[in-house]
Amino acid sequence: MSDQEPRKQADAPGSELGETARQMRAAEPYISAVWKLVGGAVVGVLGGYFLDRWLGTSPWLLLGLSLVGIGVGFYGFLHAMARLGKRK
Amino acid sequence: MRKAMVLFACLFAGTVWASEQAGEHGVANESKDAEGDDVAGYILHHVADSNEYEFEVPLSHNHIPIHLPRILIPFHEGACTPMADTHGGHGEVYPGLGQGCLDLSITKHTVMMWLAALLLIGSLLIWSNRDKTKLVPRGAGANLFEMLVLFVRDELAIKNIGKEEGPRYVPYLLTAFFFILFMNLLGLFPWMATATGNIAVTCGLALCTFFVTQAAGIRAAGIGGYLKHLTGGVAPWLWPIMIPVEFLGLFTKPFALTIRLFANMLAGHIVIFFLLGLIFMLRNPAVALVSVPFAFGIYLLELFVAFVQAYVFTMLSALFIGMSVAMGHHDDHHHEGGESHDHGKAHHLG
Repeated sequence: MSDQEPRKQADAPGSELGETARQMRAAEPYISAVWKLVGGAVVGVLGGYFLDRWLGTSPWLLLGLSLVGIGVGFYGFLHAMARLGKRK
Repeated sequence: MRKAMVLFACLFAGTVWASEQAGEHGVANESKDAEGDDVAGYILHHVADSNEYEFEVPLSHNHIPIHLPRILIPFHEGACTPMADTHGGHGEVYPGLGQGCLDLSITKHTVMMWLAALLLIGSLLIWSNRDKTKLVPRGAGANLFEMLVLFVRDELAIKNIGKEEGPRYVPYLLTAFFFILFMNLLGLFPWMATATGNIAVTCGLALCTFFVTQAAGIRAAGIGGYLKHLTGGVAPWLWPIMIPVEFLGLFTKPFALTIRLFANMLAGHIVIFFLLGLIFMLRNPAVALVSVPFAFGIYLLELFVAFVQAYVFTMLSALFIGMSVAMGHHDDHHHEGGESHDHGKAHHLG
């Protein structure tokens, strides 16, 4: 394979980011915000469940950490959205 | 067109006749369920990984099994003692990692991966243009490889990662693309198996992409920027919850890569086996009039799918690497058409 030919092609117009990549990068902050919302609840519930099993405090840590997780998830989501709004 | 319609009518008539035959003679037979179970068992046996390589001699019922070496590492005394097989399979069953037995045995899919790697190295050695004085590659193989290599570089790496950073990740993307392609294609040959139809293999490939993605992120943002990105940009007192959330979020992409490749490769093979299995399930050779052409059609589709899956895995890997690189390169981000995304202060370190 030649060294000259690829360079020409790489510099050609239209060799910038593809449409999918552009759209994914544009969507990434929103995906991240949604993951914060869902992930907060998931981590809270799982963390509470396993801590309860380990410490034998069922169901109190499950309940408590689920609420904390959901709260943090909402906070993270709103925080990300607010920052995104400011940037725009 | 007329010929196609006649053929379709024949096939359809064949199916109807076959199903009627099955209704008259087959359903009454009590062994029908057992027959169906056998087909399912046969399919599962053929798509699953195994510790022995079985050659079926054509036009006979002879099987030549080749037992592959077992490598078992016990964590404590007697942890790798064989157990009774409760699933009715043949061969010995060993305890898993949970019982303290690490199984590093060579399996059918391991052999397929080695074979794919050997074929890939061999074909690249033969068809790569090693003569630097000749700029134009000669021969069909060399041209095909050049076309695929340029496609991965220009259409996948540069279009998903960017003109500046893209070429850096081309070697990894090419390795992933050709390795997956060779494994997918190998599975279409008789006596071979599709290693990408094994979730452990696809998980391993996805983990490679995961590590490259994280390395790209660290390289672009610096270790400080990468770690700050993991905090999600929230106040420090929320970090104990937010860090696990962001950490788990890292694994969603490789998880999608793992499941997608595994399920797509496995499904195609199961469909072909089931179409052919219909002949035995309905106990009527006339079903072959329909199921064999259909299975052949799916087989051709599988040939296409082998390329598509290699392409999609590489494309998604490039996309994830590109997103990770963009996290660190704030300025490039705007240049390359993507909107800036917000992860707190991480961008300032890019």
